[in-house]
Amino acid sequence: MSRYARGRGMAAAWYGIAKTATIDRAGSWVELDDGGTAKVLTGVTEIGEGILTVLAQVAAEELGIRPEQVTIGDNDTSRSPEAAHAGATRQTYMIGNSVALACRNARERLDAEIADHWGVDINLIEAFNGEIWARGTNKRMTMEEAVHICKSRGVVPVGSGSFTAHGTGLDPVNGTGAPWQVYVFGAQVAEVEVDTVTGEVQVLGMWAVHDVGRTINPRGVEGQIEGAIVQGLGQALMEDYQTEKGHTTTPGFSKYILPTALDIPQINSRLVEDRDPKSPLGAKGIGEPALVPTAPAIINAIYDAIGVRITSLPATPEKVLAGLAAKKAASIAAE
Amino acid sequence: MFTYDSYHLPRTLREALELAATLPADGKVIAGGTDIVPYAREGRGGDVHFPVLLDVSKVAEFQGYAIENGRARLNAALPYQAFLEDPVLRENLPCMPGCAIWFADDQIREQATLAGNLVNASPAGDGAPPMMALNAEVELARLSGGEVTTRRLPLGEFITGPGRTVLEPGELVTAVICDALPGYGGSFQKVGQRRSLVISRVCAAALVKLDPTRHVFEDVRLALGGIAPVPLRLHDIEEMLRGKKITRRLVAEASVIPADRVASRTRVEYRRHVVRGFVEAAIEDALVACGAPVPSDRDREEAHA
Amino acid sequence: MPDHVMNLTVNGRKVKRPLGENYRLLDFLREELHLTGAKEGCGAGECGTCSVFVDGKLVKSCLMPTLKADGATIETVEGLAPLDSLTEVQRAFHKTGASQCGYCIPGMVMAATAALRENPEADFEEIKERLGGNICRCTGYAKIFEAVEIARDVIAGRLPQTALEPDAAAESFIGASVRRIDAPSKVTGRLKYAGDMIMPDMLHMQVLRSPHAHARIVSIDTSEAEALEGVACVITAADVPGEDGFGVFVHDQPIMARGKVRHVGEAVAAVSAESVEIARRALGLIKVEYEELPAVFDPEEAMRPGAPVIHDYAPDNLVKHIPIRKGDVEAGFAEADLIVENTYSTQQIEHAYLEPEAGLAYVDPDGVVTIHSPSQNITHHRHMLAKIINRPINKVRFIMSPVGGGFGGKEDMIYQGMLALAAMKSGRPVRLVFTREESIIASAKRHPARITYRMGLKSDGRITAVSFRMISDGGAYGMSTEGVMRKAAILAFGPYEVPNLKVDTYGIYTNNTPSGAFRSFGAMQTQFATESHLDLCAEKLGLDPFEIRRRNMMKIGSTTHTGQMLETCSMEEVLRVAEEFCRWERGAPTSRGATRSDLGGPDTRKPCTLGARFKMPEAEESKQEVA
Ligand SMILES: Cc1cc2nc3c(=O)[nH]c(=O)nc-3n(C[C@H](O)[C@H](O)[C@H](O)COP(=O)(O)OP(=O)(O)OC[C@H]3O[C@@H](n4cnc5c(N)ncnc54)[C@H](O)[C@@H]3O)c2cc1C
Repeated sequence: MSRYARGRGMAAAWYGIAKTATIDRAGSWVELDDGGTAKVLTGVTEIGEGILTVLAQVAAEELGIRPEQVTIGDNDTSRSPEAAHAGATRQTYMIGNSVALACRNARERLDAEIADHWGVDINLIEAFNGEIWARGTNKRMTMEEAVHICKSRGVVPVGSGSFTAHGTGLDPVNGTGAPWQVYVFGAQVAEVEVDTVTGEVQVLGMWAVHDVGRTINPRGVEGQIEGAIVQGLGQALMEDYQTEKGHTTTPGFSKYILPTALDIPQINSRLVEDRDPKSPLGAKGIGEPALVPTAPAIINAIYDAIGVRITSLPATPEKVLAGLAAKKAASIAAE
Repeated sequence: MFTYDSYHLPRTLREALELAATLPADGKVIAGGTDIVPYAREGRGGDVHFPVLLDVSKVAEFQGYAIENGRARLNAALPYQAFLEDPVLRENLPCMPGCAIWFADDQIREQATLAGNLVNASPAGDGAPPMMALNAEVELARLSGGEVTTRRLPLGEFITGPGRTVLEPGELVTAVICDALPGYGGSFQKVGQRRSLVISRVCAAALVKLDPTRHVFEDVRLALGGIAPVPLRLHDIEEMLRGKKITRRLVAEASVIPADRVASRTRVEYRRHVVRGFVEAAIEDALVACGAPVPSDRDREEAHA
Repeated sequence: MPDHVMNLTVNGRKVKRPLGENYRLLDFLREELHLTGAKEGCGAGECGTCSVFVDGKLVKSCLMPTLKADGATIETVEGLAPLDSLTEVQRAFHKTGASQCGYCIPGMVMAATAALRENPEADFEEIKERLGGNICRCTGYAKIFEAVEIARDVIAGRLPQTALEPDAAAESFIGASVRRIDAPSKVTGRLKYAGDMIMPDMLHMQVLRSPHAHARIVSIDTSEAEALEGVACVITAADVPGEDGFGVFVHDQPIMARGKVRHVGEAVAAVSAESVEIARRALGLIKVEYEELPAVFDPEEAMRPGAPVIHDYAPDNLVKHIPIRKGDVEAGFAEADLIVENTYSTQQIEHAYLEPEAGLAYVDPDGVVTIHSPSQNITHHRHMLAKIINRPINKVRFIMSPVGGGFGGKEDMIYQGMLALAAMKSGRPVRLVFTREESIIASAKRHPARITYRMGLKSDGRITAVSFRMISDGGAYGMSTEGVMRKAAILAFGPYEVPNLKVDTYGIYTNNTPSGAFRSFGAMQTQFATESHLDLCAEKLGLDPFEIRRRNMMKIGSTTHTGQMLETCSMEEVLRVAEEFCRWERGAPTSRGATRSDLGGPDTRKPCTLGARFKMPEAEESKQEVA
């Protein structure tokens, strides 16, 4: 037998978006500001996932300005509206949609003034990338001018938005209920190489396919998938918080082992866009679901490579070798 | 928390030895600090306070290395990165680049010294096995009656157990002196839980020299780490191979033997299995480094039949 | 020693400053020079958030005694580029989206800079090795590597400077890879996380933690600690003015241990002092008398009658049981051609965000108790804290400081309450920065799970029935356990339509480190079992893994395990794309790896063998050759 054995495995997964088995809600305030810029206030934002940028993109798109012209305020329970927590893969879905609604609200104010100023029907007004115009006419100006005109007419173009996701509680006896209004689906494939001398598993490739509803920022989504896969890989192969009589034996990063730059696969992602019909943006989410299929895909790939079924995570080199030894013993016994 | 009252950075050996002579019992010699500083953390040493720290990393006599009469003198402040980056060291110590690349990371290697690694005497330390294979001696110096006196000990006698050496109060390691073996093929095997910043579960170092026919082992050096309280040199297996015609089967046979030497308290079965594969791989890789062809899967199968 | 004057050149400027209590170079840079781009992710040289150049060599400044660097030339992330400009490496990080939470990023930018300084022609493998000392928990490293390769090629002139520019705007900003708006602040190290913030007159908090897993607190004597010079106040549960208790679902956790401790590392008292060192010394002067209680560390033991009770309100140690039932399971099994049973287990996992917990609290001039912290749930924290400190809700203010990674681990209010109490008691701003070790023992983990699985299938692969029981160690406090059990149960059987099923998930109290919210909230554990189990069944039935899933997958109109009708469903499309995308070779999962023809494509990496920088190209070639 060759020292190195390769194999592939796959796994699929599903996930619900936003808070579970309850109504979820998020609020935002928006102001189209001087210079054709904008302020967005909402109660919760960035934990690294890129939501600030997503919100800036959403606000820019809805307001007709550019993302870099959007300022997102601090998350402050005394200065911004409630948007609940940063979790449950709810950021793009809940806060993104609430910002979209707030922007539409602000635009209604602005558009009404500009339509009146131009003497055109409000439904003809469109704006993008710092410019506003009336469709089918030669009326056009910058957003900076538009905000100035709106304010000179005595109106500050502000808006607010509240977005709701309708989940219902579960029946306490049989669990019946509609916990989320939107689900996502995904599948991942892993290719591994197992070193039969050391029991080490290297993941060489991962293919991730996820339904995200509608992609707001492709690189951002990829970043979420890549990060989730490496966390899933850590759980599949090395991470293990251990205690002995309640005292941890993995108290620091020399004992609690995390994947490094040398432990990660090439990650290939592809997105499926099945838009959510129940929300203004049509986007769903990716943060958590991308982690779910990783470990089983890797474990299934290890089985493909060496015929050892790991049922208890993580698949440490020691467990892999013990599995190989057990398999050998079983095949000798069978002879 | 890591705290200290006074910190000395002597520039000469004499100064350093004077300070060492008066170092209080709870004072400490420090070189790269990569063992000492992270020890002062919860779950390890907790809050550790040193009344005096004696930093030997700037001592002039401890810098650099010299190669003379087939021996390399590796001065005490030499950091691991030198084994990777210095072409002379790479050529003369052929098992060390592999050891160094597996050792911690580029940044730790800029600080971490070989001397500190050997004094620390961790059973999982990576420096000891290749140094055992290179017949290393540790040179120690102290002041006695105002004079610098030195003694030299083989590495196997210097390290007496996990975290234990024969280093005495007032003594400093001045250098590690080992064989310079240009023309040898060297290799280093290591397994831990990942591939960077990884502590050895098992490691193995090998050095091989071919005779002029290139078919016979002229010399073989083998050592293991991580499997016993102290590093192990495999003299009997070296003896078994030396002067023999190189065949895969011979290498495979030789590698079965040392599994019995695993004397760790944990992961014994695991280590026994790895040791066997590592001895074989270490010799094979060292042969490849001498220019031998890479064995194919078929060779392996035949050898293990 | 504190008066020793350090002479250094830092980012091109001469610096002459007293050493103070800054024992490590990292402390000196951060506390004395306010260069907070270097961070303390672990304090043990294991993560690289503190990387700086000392005399041209990149080192981990948490491991360097400050005096070792006396006289040295230091370059930190703040000094890489003049203000208002970025280096190629920084621009490339901005371009590719290489920063997420940003906490590892200053160190990562330094490592990338060092890699390209050491070898401007470093190839992909060598770049990875040279970044091997820097941990990133968010990005999976992919975009970081991409950035370093772009920067290398721009510096070498192989790529034009425009390669670092943003992509041109298309017709819409939705669907465009707009560069992250927070990236410049992260790649330059300018962004201030809670642990980087300072206020005039600020105190430093340290926390006394329980050495016992389960013990009654007989007495706490803080008098000696309070008397120590430099100590402003000591707080314990006795200082809580309101209704003490927090948690995501049940409010079962006091701000500090009240009457008893339930896990090792639980906060018992906290000292606020003029310096961290004084505060730590004061911790040693607090006398706590404990009476140890029988403890339980295994959830199944904790479920047995007579087991030690951890919370009075839950005499059976049950945090939450979630049942789900659909159809008739017995009939479903009776109908099956094949029944497969197995057990699975998953481990406790640490979030390991690179930013350990940190916060800064003060009472503002209007009497508003204000807390800056990387909290993932400021709304709920405000509700709970208002009750705990007995103030009107508008007199409590939470500000979410930049979060250096959360993954669910920063949803629990495990330290903000102590900061609030100390700020109220001392009348001064108080800062607390966890060490890595403290973060590990005091914060929640991913729930470990033991799963018993039984699945019945027809010989064509259709699932007729499943039963599933999961027992999960919730640890000493409820935190998110209830929600995790719920989500685990709802999603347990994956995206497959199963006519008859029975699920039970149990979250159990023990005296272990609490388990809580962690990215995927229980779904990972249950679906790991499901997806492993499906492959087992597929092997027995001789079915391809994609095929067995396709035969059972949910579709539009399917009824979920909880009886919800799906109005949209992309599962079929996802499977189709995945199979094609990875060039899958069909066949039953019979460990046929050795014979597969779809392995080793251009979309995989090479196995990592170390030593890219000194391997001769011939060595690589000769590896291919068969002797
Ligand atoms: C993140 C990380 C990764 C690591 N990875 C590895 C690894 O892969 N493999 C490995 O083997 N080790 C590893 N280590 C451990 C450590 O880096 C090594 O043991 C290192 O070689 C110690 O050298 P130092 O100069 O830093 O020693 P120091 O910490 O300065 O000292 C270590 C001991 O040696 C003594 N000492 C040092 N020099 C002298 C002298 N001249 N005379 C007398 N006594 C002296 C000190 O008093 C102390 O007892 C790692 C450490 C860290 C923090």
